[in-house]
Amino acid sequence: MDEHKIAILADAAKYDVSCSSSGSDRKYRPGEIGNAAFSGICHTFTADGRCVSLLKLLLSNDCAYDCAYCRNRRSNSLPRATAQPDEICRLTMAFYRRNYIEGLFLSSAVYKNPNYTMELLLETARKLREEYKFNGYIHLKGMPSADKLLIERAAKYADRMSLNIELPSENSLKLLAPQKSAPAIITPMRMLADKRRIFIAERGAAALPDFSPVLSENRKREYFLPAGQTTQMIIGASPEPDSHILKLSQALYKNFGLKRVYYSAYQPVPGAGAMLPLSPAPKLREHRLYQADWLLRFYGFTAEEITDGGNLSLELDPKCAWALKNMQHFPVEINSAPLSVLLRVPGIGVKSAYRIISARKYAKLDFADLKRMRVTLKRAMHFITCKGKFFGSENVRALTRLLSSPYENARQLSFFSPDYYKELHDPEDEF
Amino acid sequence: MIIFIAEKSLDGLLSALFYSFTQKAAPGKVTDGTAFQPGMYDSVIKIETDALQAERVKKGLIRYGGADIVRRLSVCLLSCEEEAFTAAFRYAYKTLFLRKDISGNMADPVTAQFIFTEQKVWRERHNILGFLRFAESAGGVIYARYSPDNDITELVAPHFLKRLSGLAFVIHDVKRNKAAVSDGYSLKIMRTGEAAFIPSAEEKNFAALWKRYYEEINIPERLNPRQQRRCMPVRYRKFMPETYEKF
Repeated sequence: MDEHKIAILADAAKYDVSCSSSGSDRKYRPGEIGNAAFSGICHTFTADGRCVSLLKLLLSNDCAYDCAYCRNRRSNSLPRATAQPDEICRLTMAFYRRNYIEGLFLSSAVYKNPNYTMELLLETARKLREEYKFNGYIHLKGMPSADKLLIERAAKYADRMSLNIELPSENSLKLLAPQKSAPAIITPMRMLADKRRIFIAERGAAALPDFSPVLSENRKREYFLPAGQTTQMIIGASPEPDSHILKLSQALYKNFGLKRVYYSAYQPVPGAGAMLPLSPAPKLREHRLYQADWLLRFYGFTAEEITDGGNLSLELDPKCAWALKNMQHFPVEINSAPLSVLLRVPGIGVKSAYRIISARKYAKLDFADLKRMRVTLKRAMHFITCKGKFFGSENVRALTRLLSSPYENARQLSFFSPDYYKELHDPEDEF
Repeated sequence: MIIFIAEKSLDGLLSALFYSFTQKAAPGKVTDGTAFQPGMYDSVIKIETDALQAERVKKGLIRYGGADIVRRLSVCLLSCEEEAFTAAFRYAYKTLFLRKDISGNMADPVTAQFIFTEQKVWRERHNILGFLRFAESAGGVIYARYSPDNDITELVAPHFLKRLSGLAFVIHDVKRNKAAVSDGYSLKIMRTGEAAFIPSAEEKNFAALWKRYYEEINIPERLNPRQQRRCMPVRYRKFMPETYEKF
């Protein structure tokens, strides 16, 4: 593949948010190259601060569809390119050997039609696994409305697949992506979720992550999406509030067992129609959604608890906002509160909560102990007691002011970096 | 203050523990003696490494501190921090003294210091697994140079042996003149000097492709160099083709 083509196909793929390589425990096999690290590995970081873990490419950016929010839509004038499966395989192998990447993330625009594109994606994954003997991580994008059988076959080669929901409601989808439909996205997602469930049930423990260093003999070398599925949606291109978005994510996690929902703040695309907002969605909104998403998955919160019908507060993180609204639950005693309660204390994360649970078996803890364990007390001190002592503020209004950060993006200008100055005057930061 | 000078290895540490318990001497500091200046009132004790003593202490440690304590101590010893040796010693000493596993008690300063030191080593290892860059030599061997803060070559190399099995590779720590050499099936750690590297004909092309890809995947509207620096410290970048020139 030449430099020009790679530039076009990488440029077209970069708006896909997902780039994680975690969740798969694909073991090394003799005679093949590669394995997958369960924790995922970041291989480099670009100037926008995002991790690059996989070689993220579009197979083609020559799209038959005309979705208003997308750069690659048919009506946009862009240089177009389409890669051959073999080209992609060779590039992946060469990069993988040099430890540039953890694997391949292959997506595509709808080239000719969904089935044709899906077949090409499948062919690339098959070639990599069977001909090039590649045993590293593969993330494949599922094409909406592609044939069920194609998607199911792809799942046998890929570690993770994703079908993008794109927009948080069916109406917005109709409006902005007229050729896509909610059933065309949801049906294959459900199919993959069901098949994966059946696969795990049939295999029993053998399909679950296995942390032994070598592949055990009795474990058949077959996989069905070991790292599950994910999806992605665009925030701020359509009018849905955060409460709607979080409820949707919650349903996806619950019903389809999704591993992640990615959110991407809308960036205006050149020449987009009048249906789309002119200004980009605030990055902070995206950040708050991710925070709330973590609360759903790891902290035992429900979407209904975190939101009250509108958007999340930009000043306060969602956990703080929830705590301040529910002060009747606080303060909690560090030395006796159960895990589920500790997890709800602002400033105490999963790691800290486990540290506390384990350390208090040795002796009762006080504030100095927490500090030594590197539990962040900035927020937590207002919501906890240690051996009955309380050092926080009881005045909820003063507390709200204290904990909110209206100038989260404000920072000291750097003498050496003119970029910071530019960034501070970025219109999207002024909200 | 009593200061122990011991060999900075697992056996050295275990011998120091043996000495400490048999001679009833509790050191304030344990060091390997490099870059070290004793104070006026310090008494310095030199510990001889003894494999038999070490074996006895090891048994006790495993009995009280759990099966993985020995491995954890040796990881802590790989740390570049000056206090690492002392931290490992104190942790092992306390485990033996109390005759119980104290690894869960992060409120204890001894445990906290030990675990945070150990974690730092693991964290760097994890970063390096991603940041290490191989280049193909004309002879087909792939070669990576790097210069980690901690002495993690032993921890990094097995990952690549598993991943790149069948491929001969060299991972060269240029700071410590140390290399992990593999023929694709087994691994050897050895001392090295300067390495002469002749890249293969394709090498430059792939490095250039990767660099181009790296530049293209960036979203300029979302520039965030602070985040980038936090995740990928500048000191690692001189060995990575995508950032080499900017460095």
